[in-house]
Amino acid sequence: MGMLHPRDALHPATLAPRPAAGRRQVLGGLAAALAGLPLAAPALAQAQPLRIGMITSLSGPFTALGESMRAGMQLLLAQSGNRLAGRPVEFLVEDDQARPEEGARRARKLIGQDRVDLLCGVISSGVALALRDVVTEARTPTFLLGSANDLARKAASPYIVRPTKTNWMLGSTAARWAREKLGGARVLTVASDYAAGREYVGDFVETYRQLGGRPGRTLWTPLGSADFGPLLTTIAAERPEAVYGFFAGSDAVRFLRQWQEYRLAGRVPLIGPGAFFDQEDVLPAVGDAALGAFSTFHQSPTAPASAAFNRAYMATGKPLPGEFSTTGYVCGQVIRALLERTGGTLADWEAARAALFGAPVETAFGTMPFDPRNGQAILDIHVNAVRRGEDGRMVNTVVHTYPQLRDPGPDA
Amino acid sequence: MGYAIVQVLNALSFSALLLLTGLGLSVVLSLMNFVNLAHGAFYLLGSYVAVLWLASGAPWWLAFPAAFLAAALAGALLERFPFRRFYARPHLMQVLLTYGISVILADLMRWGFGAQILTPELPAALRGVVFLFDMPFPLYRLFLIGVGAVLGLLLWLLLDRTLWGAALRAAVTDRGIVETLGIDTRRLFAAVLVLSAGLGGLSGALGAGMLAAYPGLDEEVLILALITVVVGGLGSFGGTVAGALVVGFALTFSKVWFPEFANVVAFSAMAGFLLLRPHGFVAPPLRQV
Amino acid sequence: MRRALLSRAAPMAAALLALALPAALAGPFHLRFLAEILLLGTAVMSLDLLVGSGGLVSLGHAALFGTAAYAAAVAALHLGGNLLLVLGAGTGAALLLAALMGVAIMRSSHLFLLILTLLLGQIAWEVAFHWRAVTGGADGLRGLPPLSLGPWRLDGPRALFLLAGGLALAAHALARSFVAAPIGRALVGAREQPLRMSALGYSTARIRLRAMLAAGGIAGAAGSLYPFLNLYVGPQSVHWSLSATMIIMLVIGGVGSLWGAFLGSAVYLALQTYVSAYTDRWQLFVGVIFVLIVLLLPHGLAGAAARWRRG
Repeated sequence: MGMLHPRDALHPATLAPRPAAGRRQVLGGLAAALAGLPLAAPALAQAQPLRIGMITSLSGPFTALGESMRAGMQLLLAQSGNRLAGRPVEFLVEDDQARPEEGARRARKLIGQDRVDLLCGVISSGVALALRDVVTEARTPTFLLGSANDLARKAASPYIVRPTKTNWMLGSTAARWAREKLGGARVLTVASDYAAGREYVGDFVETYRQLGGRPGRTLWTPLGSADFGPLLTTIAAERPEAVYGFFAGSDAVRFLRQWQEYRLAGRVPLIGPGAFFDQEDVLPAVGDAALGAFSTFHQSPTAPASAAFNRAYMATGKPLPGEFSTTGYVCGQVIRALLERTGGTLADWEAARAALFGAPVETAFGTMPFDPRNGQAILDIHVNAVRRGEDGRMVNTVVHTYPQLRDPGPDA
Repeated sequence: MGYAIVQVLNALSFSALLLLTGLGLSVVLSLMNFVNLAHGAFYLLGSYVAVLWLASGAPWWLAFPAAFLAAALAGALLERFPFRRFYARPHLMQVLLTYGISVILADLMRWGFGAQILTPELPAALRGVVFLFDMPFPLYRLFLIGVGAVLGLLLWLLLDRTLWGAALRAAVTDRGIVETLGIDTRRLFAAVLVLSAGLGGLSGALGAGMLAAYPGLDEEVLILALITVVVGGLGSFGGTVAGALVVGFALTFSKVWFPEFANVVAFSAMAGFLLLRPHGFVAPPLRQV
Repeated sequence: MRRALLSRAAPMAAALLALALPAALAGPFHLRFLAEILLLGTAVMSLDLLVGSGGLVSLGHAALFGTAAYAAAVAALHLGGNLLLVLGAGTGAALLLAALMGVAIMRSSHLFLLILTLLLGQIAWEVAFHWRAVTGGADGLRGLPPLSLGPWRLDGPRALFLLAGGLALAAHALARSFVAAPIGRALVGAREQPLRMSALGYSTARIRLRAMLAAGGIAGAAGSLYPFLNLYVGPQSVHWSLSATMIIMLVIGGVGSLWGAFLGSAVYLALQTYVSAYTDRWQLFVGVIFVLIVLLLPHGLAGAAARWRRG
């Protein structure tokens, strides 16, 4: 199977040919006609379907992550009976292929042609940054799930809400953990040479040095390396006391397996941001190569807040959830909370935003307040250790939590 | 000392992988003058078959023939239609056709095997490690180097030292004459393509232990194999071996000496090589295409 | 005489109508989408000069397009979005790179050329990807100032569409005159009979260099406007996969037909944008259509249209 019809996957109501623009126009005309009747307006808002557009990677390097994100959101919509705050939901998914220009075109299509009420999604930070001006100019409320620091800083926008982490939150907490547990040991850093790797390692090294630790040599390697043998031999020759590293997706799988093959696993402590050891994307493919590694992450399948989601997600035949399935679900939870607080209308975004930021939202990431300066979530950051679970599988297990981390935001 | 030896072995093991993937590509290119950009798809199919085979609990060493057969079967089907019609067409049309086929195969595989990253469970016999002057080197990579050398030798013997190979080389030079000798050249060419596809699958099975298997890997491997074959000089046998060594060492030692700029350095080295020798390492006799 | 004039004027009028109609009727999304089709189509058309006339299949064309895009974006960030400045900076950068590539491919041919251009293009990509201070690295550059010409701001979708349309028309005229000029004939000659051409005293290398410069200039002009569609430029616009996409567009439209390039980019982008909203299997769909075209319409849609018109 897998031939999911993305926009119809969850709501049989639209399995019939898509409601053509005709019905919307009729409704729009009705709305205009009734605009003079204040009493009728809320009732109409109740009946009118809410269109949510998601932009995510369904091809290209982040395919598996994109599919997870979509599945998380679909789960939340299914649990809500495809109604949020009483309004039926139409969920439209577009594939950005992890290319910024592609993502921008899809966003314009969702906004201009499909007339969505709000947008969400995005894995690649490049796509997220390209969308920033598109959605801001169109004044479309958008829940952006990329994690570049700039999204909470220079590129923050009043139309963007960020119910996920920034890279700084993970890099700086990893440095605090390393300082506390390793006593300032000489930590070698190694990462894929692109924006995310630079931010994680940069924030780690900066914080680690501030705390009095001794960062060792930094090694960069091109994104998408076929062979980590030469790099691992170099690391083995450096004899570091610990390694902080970041790779994602196929790079992470190859690095960790070869980390074990070159007998570094178990001998050199390995720390990284959670995506390096993602529960869904990476851990199932690396056997016990990551056993004993530590990561800092806003997501953990063993965090109490995630328990209900874990059960529901696994009941759909999926594995223990990782970052992006949880993020998709949390994004849905935040959208649901927003709509419930506004009675289902987004007509006044200023007020809706204030309502959302006025009180924390209960999510699978835990209690989530927002920073009103930049719309950035304030998150609990867990330290996860990769441990063997009851059934022998590797599980990211919470061993410590840094509560309520707030990105420096525009001040940074 | 140990460091230098292990880095050389790293380069050799990567070269062996490049050789395995490049050989399949260069066989059809040199013998049939056919550019097959679907070769990466054969590789990835072999990887998936090997991963599933090794997870099934069947005898592990059978995973390699299984991958060979699966890819060879795919090659045989595609040879019947549409590859056969394109053997006499210009390279550009071959490139376009086989690229289109590779896009289709890639999406079919994503449909069938999913988008998750899969890795093989290597047998205990291959999971060991040897220490050279205190530096660890995985046994699996020694295995790769050995298999690469043996397979290369076997292929060379087959094409260069058997009657079948002689008929094949003759058919390339003058198809008409060979036909008058009563040899069915169409079957000969079909056999070469099937062999090439099988080699692609086999290299995928062997490479899975190093590169894993996931959508998009087909393209990455194809590009590396193409560069290998082209740097080697379009498919003379010795040329492909030389190409694999040049590319393997360039990619490895650029990572050793300039990890941050590894790709730029390696690409520049290869481009520079092609500037100095525009027809690759072993220049083939000029042919009109 | 009159018929000749008419046969010249008719396509021109059709092209102008094709630009005027959407400008009057289409919504903002479609206008911007059409502008993207026109800009990519212009780049594909310039690639057709190399492939269609010269038989030089380059996998590095996106490097010319993307380098122009970055140069234009950087110029706009520092000096403002004046249209002429942006076009000049982008086209100039692309010409420079085209000259380098032209020199590099002088002695190369066939598959060697394909791989050499791939390597050169990827070196350009690595530079764009790693020169963070200037290019923004993997995240690209955002927050560009909108295009302007004197007192007019050219940032609305209609203005962008008309700008792209004007550029496409001008580029098409230029490409046509290149193909018809002696240099264009010489390029075909160098492809078909390189030996005879050099015996006649032509320098294949110089012919190729000039073809590369013409293609680079046109691709560069298109590339310099590309960032202003979304006020963003990222490394994907330099990557070889965009070069491969351009070749696919070229084949769908028809190798050797200049206007087919626009048709090809329109068909490809429309397929990809609309089919993928309905199924995850859109790549399968695009792949099948592409293979069918290679099998059944070796001269692309434009070739099929020409044959159909001739009866």
